[in-house]
Amino acid sequence: MFLLGLLAIPLLGAALIAGSPAHAAKRVALAATSIAVALFIPIVAGFDFANNGTMQGGVEYAWLPTLGVKFAVGIDGVSLALLGLTVLLGPICVAASFTAITDRPKTFYAWLLILQAAITGVFCARDLVLFYICFEFTLIPMFILISLYGSTNRAKAAIKFFLYTFTGSLITLAGLVYVAWQHSLKHDGVWNFDIDTLAATARNLPLSTQGWVLLALMAGFAVKVPLFPVHTWLPLAHTEAPTAGSVVLAGTLLKLGTYGLYRFALGYVPGAMAEHAQTIAILCVVGIIYGGLICWVQRDVKKLVAYSSVAHLGFCVLGLVALNQTGITGSVLYMINHGLSTGALFLCIGMIYERFHTRNMAELGGLAARMPVWSTFMVFFAMASVGLPGLNGFVPEFLCLIGSFQADSRWGHGLWGSTTTSMASYGTRGDLGPWLTLIAGTGMIIAAMYLLYMVGRVVWGPLVLPPGFKADDGHGHGHDDSKGSHTAEAEKHDDHGHHSVLPTDLCGREIAILAPLAFLCLALGVYPKILTSSMDLAIDSQVKVLEEKLIERDRTRMGSTTPLVPVPPATKPNEGSGRPSASTIDSRIMVQNAGMQEAGR
Amino acid sequence: MAIGDMMMMGSGLMGSVLAQAAPPAAMSDVHLAHYLFVACVMFVIGLIGFLTRRNLIIMFLCTDLMFQAAGVALIAFSRYHLNHTGETFTIVLITVAAAEAAMALALVVLLFRKKESLDAEEWTELKG
Amino acid sequence: MMTLLTNTHGLMHALSGAALAVSDEAGHAAGHASGPVAQTFAAGPMFGLLVVALPLLACILCGLCAMGRVKTKLPAFLTVLCLAGSFLVTLALYLQHHGQPAGTAWIIQGFEWIRLDYRQMVDSVVQSRSFIANFGLYVDSLTCLWMLFVTGLATLIALYASEYMSHDVGQGYNRFFAAFSLFVFSMACLVMADNLVLLYLGWEGVGLCSYLLIGYFYKKPSAVAAAKKAFILNRIGDLGLALGIMLCYVHFGSVEYKVIFEKCAPYMASLAAGQLDQIPLIAQFIPLCLMIGAFGKSAQLPLYVWLPDAMEGPTPVSALIHAATMVTAGVFLIARTYPLFLMSEYALPIVAWVGALTALLAATIGMAQFDIKRIMAYSTVSQLGYMFAGLAVLTSVGGAAHVFTHAFFKAMLFLACGAVMHGFAGQLDLRKLSGVGSMPGWRVVGIAMLVGCLNLAGFPIITAGFWSKDMILGEAFANSQMQAIGWILLLTAGLTAYYTFRVYFRVFVGPKHYEPGDEHHGDDHGHDHGHGHADGHDEGHQTSGKHGFHPHAPGWAINTVLATLAVAAFVIVPLVALNHGGWVKDMVGASSAQFNEKAAYLIAAKGDLHTKFFGFDAHKAMMVVSSIVGLIGIAVAFVLHYQGRTTAATSKADALLPAFGPIAKWAQNKWYVDEFYNAIVRMPLLALAQIFHWFDKLVIDGLVDFFGWTPRGLGGSLRPAQSGEMHTYAVGMAGGLAVMAVVVIVVLM
Repeated sequence: MFLLGLLAIPLLGAALIAGSPAHAAKRVALAATSIAVALFIPIVAGFDFANNGTMQGGVEYAWLPTLGVKFAVGIDGVSLALLGLTVLLGPICVAASFTAITDRPKTFYAWLLILQAAITGVFCARDLVLFYICFEFTLIPMFILISLYGSTNRAKAAIKFFLYTFTGSLITLAGLVYVAWQHSLKHDGVWNFDIDTLAATARNLPLSTQGWVLLALMAGFAVKVPLFPVHTWLPLAHTEAPTAGSVVLAGTLLKLGTYGLYRFALGYVPGAMAEHAQTIAILCVVGIIYGGLICWVQRDVKKLVAYSSVAHLGFCVLGLVALNQTGITGSVLYMINHGLSTGALFLCIGMIYERFHTRNMAELGGLAARMPVWSTFMVFFAMASVGLPGLNGFVPEFLCLIGSFQADSRWGHGLWGSTTTSMASYGTRGDLGPWLTLIAGTGMIIAAMYLLYMVGRVVWGPLVLPPGFKADDGHGHGHDDSKGSHTAEAEKHDDHGHHSVLPTDLCGREIAILAPLAFLCLALGVYPKILTSSMDLAIDSQVKVLEEKLIERDRTRMGSTTPLVPVPPATKPNEGSGRPSASTIDSRIMVQNAGMQEAGR
Repeated sequence: MAIGDMMMMGSGLMGSVLAQAAPPAAMSDVHLAHYLFVACVMFVIGLIGFLTRRNLIIMFLCTDLMFQAAGVALIAFSRYHLNHTGETFTIVLITVAAAEAAMALALVVLLFRKKESLDAEEWTELKG
Repeated sequence: MMTLLTNTHGLMHALSGAALAVSDEAGHAAGHASGPVAQTFAAGPMFGLLVVALPLLACILCGLCAMGRVKTKLPAFLTVLCLAGSFLVTLALYLQHHGQPAGTAWIIQGFEWIRLDYRQMVDSVVQSRSFIANFGLYVDSLTCLWMLFVTGLATLIALYASEYMSHDVGQGYNRFFAAFSLFVFSMACLVMADNLVLLYLGWEGVGLCSYLLIGYFYKKPSAVAAAKKAFILNRIGDLGLALGIMLCYVHFGSVEYKVIFEKCAPYMASLAAGQLDQIPLIAQFIPLCLMIGAFGKSAQLPLYVWLPDAMEGPTPVSALIHAATMVTAGVFLIARTYPLFLMSEYALPIVAWVGALTALLAATIGMAQFDIKRIMAYSTVSQLGYMFAGLAVLTSVGGAAHVFTHAFFKAMLFLACGAVMHGFAGQLDLRKLSGVGSMPGWRVVGIAMLVGCLNLAGFPIITAGFWSKDMILGEAFANSQMQAIGWILLLTAGLTAYYTFRVYFRVFVGPKHYEPGDEHHGDDHGHDHGHGHADGHDEGHQTSGKHGFHPHAPGWAINTVLATLAVAAFVIVPLVALNHGGWVKDMVGASSAQFNEKAAYLIAAKGDLHTKFFGFDAHKAMMVVSSIVGLIGIAVAFVLHYQGRTTAATSKADALLPAFGPIAKWAQNKWYVDEFYNAIVRMPLLALAQIFHWFDKLVIDGLVDFFGWTPRGLGGSLRPAQSGEMHTYAVGMAGGLAVMAVVVIVVLM
């Protein structure tokens, strides 16, 4: 029932805003999102973490009984985490818009709340139709937020965002409806849209059909993620969107794509996924490097962070298509942590934009001297985004990379001389492997390059302000406080007459927005177990199916129909690197790769 | 109004001539083909007039000429098939044409007032 | 504050859970085949966590000071206090650990950091797997050795910095000490980690602190650039380390040292049996990956270029991070995972060559520089090369001993240079300073500098540097495979003695002369203009400070620290000198860096560990030869830079320069390595980035826009048909009618 509340509260809030005066809109919105946060607490408290793989807190109503469509919600560990992110970003987005949105606030806050409701719906939907309706409905609020409250090029950005993602998701709809149709064919024409029920049908589709369904799913979800090469709507939309829009976009809207991939690409078509994981992984790796390098030559701070999302989500999807526990756990963690750190970076940039009305790095620089508190946050979140261990970005990135490193069917079967006899193999099945991981890993270096480039320009260096702002604000806050005699107090209020609402450095409200995010970044970096242990079984159930399909795939690849027979574990671990007396498939893989082993020597 | 009346009279006259002249028996040399030929000539004259002239009133007259050509053809067939539906329909047609003429001329007057000209090329507001 | 809570929580958790977690492992011998001292694992005392916790506490307190806008020296005192506490705890930990049987490794469980449990089908059998990286400490004698000098020097240098940074009291001071404490915390994590991932945390953590502290004077573009460069070059190394960790996990199924060392045991047995081919290639790749990380962090070829630039940071930072502790992390990594490095027949030779070549290259650059701090930086790179070579020529004791002695004397050298910089308004050019040691108030600095230079130059018998360097040289010559390395290192030793005493003879003795630098406070070029010392400006430069500039002699904190270090430099002599390595040998020999000299690595490499040096025992011969080489270097420096020198700016060496042709200029320009990297790596990458940028804009986004425009374009092409003219429509209708008529006729026919 609390889940329904989570859906209903933002909608009620939106209705209330519609009926209340303009100046009260932001307060109503803040109240509604805060109530949603409060409502999330009993959800967590009532969640049975020991069974995080099963759907919980479910509510189900008949909706269109003739078609088998239900209004069904429920969450497992993965949904819970993403739901938490959505709910948390709610009040933050509202509070971040207090001073930024002065024109037509009612429309803004109402649509922001509706957007939150739609995203909530996606993450807790248990019915395909409900999922898809919510998934598509996120476009409308976002379209309105961008096209009404964006910057100069907003119309183009909004239209592109809408049409691009909409076109993709229509194809996805076709794929999903195809699965449902297949289900009805097999069940005497009885339609059913339950996500889990359909999964069973979809998994048993022939492999080639699964491939087409996967393609259809990718069409929608890959655009949403966005994967290279269907990413170009993102930088534009991010750059033009208002701050709150960017935060929601980076924080949760992109996660609809990765969540869709997790739920449907992995859950519905594991066979095809096993077949095509490598292709997707290559796209991810290209995106990581390509997006990262493009970041490096951006002049617009916001665009830089936007492109960094392309690179970052490349890591996320790479972990996902590793198809093993490490990779998928890393991927889901990445969804949460990217939402926190990139969302926070957008907030930081928004605060600067509100003060200086520019995002051009040529016109901004050395703000550490003028805004030490803001600079501290900026460096902190940039480091979280770089993936510094101890902060949230590291664990997911590392797990994604380990996942893809492990995912090579040749581990233990000759790759680089690894054999199961000399040492048990800790690799998993798949086609990704160490070389792909090495290339993806260079993304870590590139991430440091572009984020430090940005930090070096905007935060450090000599103070540069856009024309019209007095660059000389004394001698900086950092160094000369001891000299004491400055006119720091007097300067505090100069040169921003036209937006006197905001002080030079962050105000209390802005600190209150960033501090919880910073705390979470640190907490999830130090104790990621909170998340990993609350979603392990959910992921395990996915991995189990995937592993079966991978074994099957490895078998067919070897051209054998021999069923898998349990064999006694390999002989003594110390018998040298001789040929293992391994089982059917494994020995074939080994023979296939024996040449490589020899060449390696 | 005067023009409309004239047209009505003209077409009525033609109708009566046809009616007399088209018995099924080959009493005279006038056949269905002749009537249709007349209708066709009328239509083509109207069409050419419509396409070549620029004056709105003349163009309107031409359309009416084409209208009446259709009426002639209808009556000729009606007579040929000994079925009165065509004649009935022609009466309706004449009535409608009269109403239409009234409307059209009113519009032409309005258009003339806007541009002080009856040239049809002055009006290209529907350009895509 | 929250971090503190988390940490406390971890402590509680550990107190309850650690005992049962580790106790069953106690007494399980792991390295039974690998070395003279078997490694045993046991649960360690919980108070060991304080070593890590106290610097973190200091960091948090400094952060609170920054929040409270404290404008006193409070953060410095908090830091010194916490770090001293950390040192004392380390000492207690060491003493308690010392009482254990040799080879004991304590594992102190903090809290579970990363843990993933999952199942996997291997050969049709479901096996359970887990990826575990705890916040746990691994305390063996190597850890103790490292932590003793890390925390000890950190305390002293924090004390020094409390005076050195005093002109920045306020937010800068708070920021400095917060980052400083965070550095010690990260370094402690790095050294004490019980698994490779936690080591990686410390590894990147020290990188972050290095970034923050190099860029301390953030208004200065060169400092910002240097900080960025350091971080990025380190990241390149980190990628290698990360891949090594992944390989470890895939191969050993764990990233914990305990498991890795246990699973290495069969390989060590294969080694001892001379069967290197029994070790799979994958295991041999591990050290190759790890060493890239070590090369990055310890500034070795090809990644060394960040360290000289890192001198943009305040001098205490250079002393602690970029000389004594952080840069030795690479050496530590190799020493810690020494069994892994023994598993590959290529790993150690590569390390040896990289180390030796770096040592030589950096020494040649150091000889031609004029900035004394840069000279020290290059000498650090060079000495780090020595340490790597030491590890690689199979004297992990020599490598570790050199780390140990180097930490003391190099920190002292940097701090002495820092005192000069502090006192002479940022002047670091050795052509503009002379006779500083004999000026009033500068005696302690002069003596400390002399002691440091003697150590660095390897002055025979009385200096610790001599003994540790000698161990490396002797072992290199004793190893038949490493003779070439030995010759390179010997040449480097001579060059080192020369450039070290070049600095000493030019700056600290000779005629008294000085020109102040152009800043009031040495490091903060660029951000202090406008209110710097007026007398630092105008004609002050040209007239050797006669216009009112007074050198600002160091105060008690700086002098105390320098004196302590000078004494310590002698105190540690017996620790490394007695019985071929002394105390350090005991420490290293009982740790993971131990190895069995009879181990088959040597057989596999067809090497011989007791090669004669021209008929003499290599170790004994080296004592003499390296002494002579060192003394020759000092003598050359004496002749060229002291004898008969009357001005600060010139010396007899200038006359020799033409003889070297362009080589001297090339060396002074650092062999154009930076320019080379810029040309072959950075510029192509930048060009690629620009190409991608435009490709994205024009091609990829162009395609998207193309599809967007297609419907509109199609409509546009039909647009002229709608002319708005009545006649056009009429013609169209007539034409259409005609076409239809024609069609009807044709069909009817």
